[in-house]
Amino acid sequence: MNIYINGTGCISPQETAQIGPLFSTLKEYDQVRLQTVDPDYKQWIDLKQIRRMSRVVKMGVGAANLSMEEAGIKMPDAIITGTAYGCLDDTGVFLNKMVSQEEQMLTPTAFIQSTHNTVGGQIALLLGCNAYNNTFVHRGFSFENTLLDATMILREGEAKYVLAGGLDEITNYSHQILSRFGLYKKAPVKTMELLKSPDRGTIAGEGAAFFVLSPEKGTHTVAELAGISTMYKPLWEGEVIGEVVKFLEEHAVTLEDIDLIVTGRNGDIAQDEIYEEVAAALFPDHPEACFKHLCGEYPTAMAFGTWMANKIIAEQDVPDAAMFYGTAPAKIKNVLVYNHHQGTHHSLILLKAC
Amino acid sequence: MADLKAQIIEQLNLQEVKPEDIGNDDPLFKTGLGLDSIDALELIVLLQQHYNIRIANPEQGPEIFHSIRTMAEFITAQQKQQA
Repeated sequence: MNIYINGTGCISPQETAQIGPLFSTLKEYDQVRLQTVDPDYKQWIDLKQIRRMSRVVKMGVGAANLSMEEAGIKMPDAIITGTAYGCLDDTGVFLNKMVSQEEQMLTPTAFIQSTHNTVGGQIALLLGCNAYNNTFVHRGFSFENTLLDATMILREGEAKYVLAGGLDEITNYSHQILSRFGLYKKAPVKTMELLKSPDRGTIAGEGAAFFVLSPEKGTHTVAELAGISTMYKPLWEGEVIGEVVKFLEEHAVTLEDIDLIVTGRNGDIAQDEIYEEVAAALFPDHPEACFKHLCGEYPTAMAFGTWMANKIIAEQDVPDAAMFYGTAPAKIKNVLVYNHHQGTHHSLILLKAC
Repeated sequence: MADLKAQIIEQLNLQEVKPEDIGNDDPLFKTGLGLDSIDALELIVLLQQHYNIRIANPEQGPEIFHSIRTMAEFITAQQKQQA
């Protein structure tokens, strides 16, 4: 059974919520923390409900609505979300109040809104959707396992339209903590210079990308989700290379069939090494596009990468801002997205034009 | 009552609502401001935080939280008792 991407929606540090060519209005940053460009959420959310929603909830609801609008559906048969950090901001608010108010007189809203499945729940509440609703909190595999669950549900014939997405937010607290771990650059870096920067660390990011998946093509369908694979803590680059070869064989695609690779390079010289090695071993002459200089690093950034790959297939063009190496062919049919998060969570997604 | 309105707007994060938009006798729930059960819990916390008032009998809730005026009257009565 083929699984088609009938609609997509993305809210990110780029102006991805707007209709128009991919990255036609590129947002260039010179900082180590990228925040989403927020559309007017009131177009989807009633004022009485929006007041309780933190940014991550709003961006999730917004991206979900964008994807359903594109797919031309009003009600999905399942809602599946993937998030590593969940609703961090409200978690911070709630925990702060617990400390400052000595566990007394805690307000309910921040607690209610602080769980990881708040976004999936809010989408369902706004739609009045009582169907299957699940949230995967699997660190760097949260989005990938969301897609895996969606494909299984569709293959079992339990749903016709599955709304699946990945999202994460960065807050002041989480940014400070992750900075202390040495994840980010010490000094601001320009967007278009990140991938060439010669030192450790990357830039923090956030965003939400949703997909309406279905075994039936819609009017805006341009690609099918042909395959997903994850690898946890590969011991060395040979394991990743072997997994890529096996993954492509399983989906009846040769290395030559791949028209474009999209990688999760993030400008950290230590973390980007594996992309160099995989590209050198398997795709030395293939064009390569990247996405994390545009959206920043976060555990579900693969959702942005997948969204971008789908848009590239739709437009049959790779914007200059995303191109890393080579020239895209005139026809872009098979796109392999390879990403890893923190060197531990490696994943592959294959999109085929249809 | 103006202070109480400002406190409610802040506590409930009522975006785009100004104190003067809330009538003293307008119902807070359903019609009027359109608050819901989660807001009721927030209002109970507001009374505790700002006025050190605990609602002993939950059945009084609908009566106390009917409008700004009923809330203000309840606060005044409780403060007199405490004094």
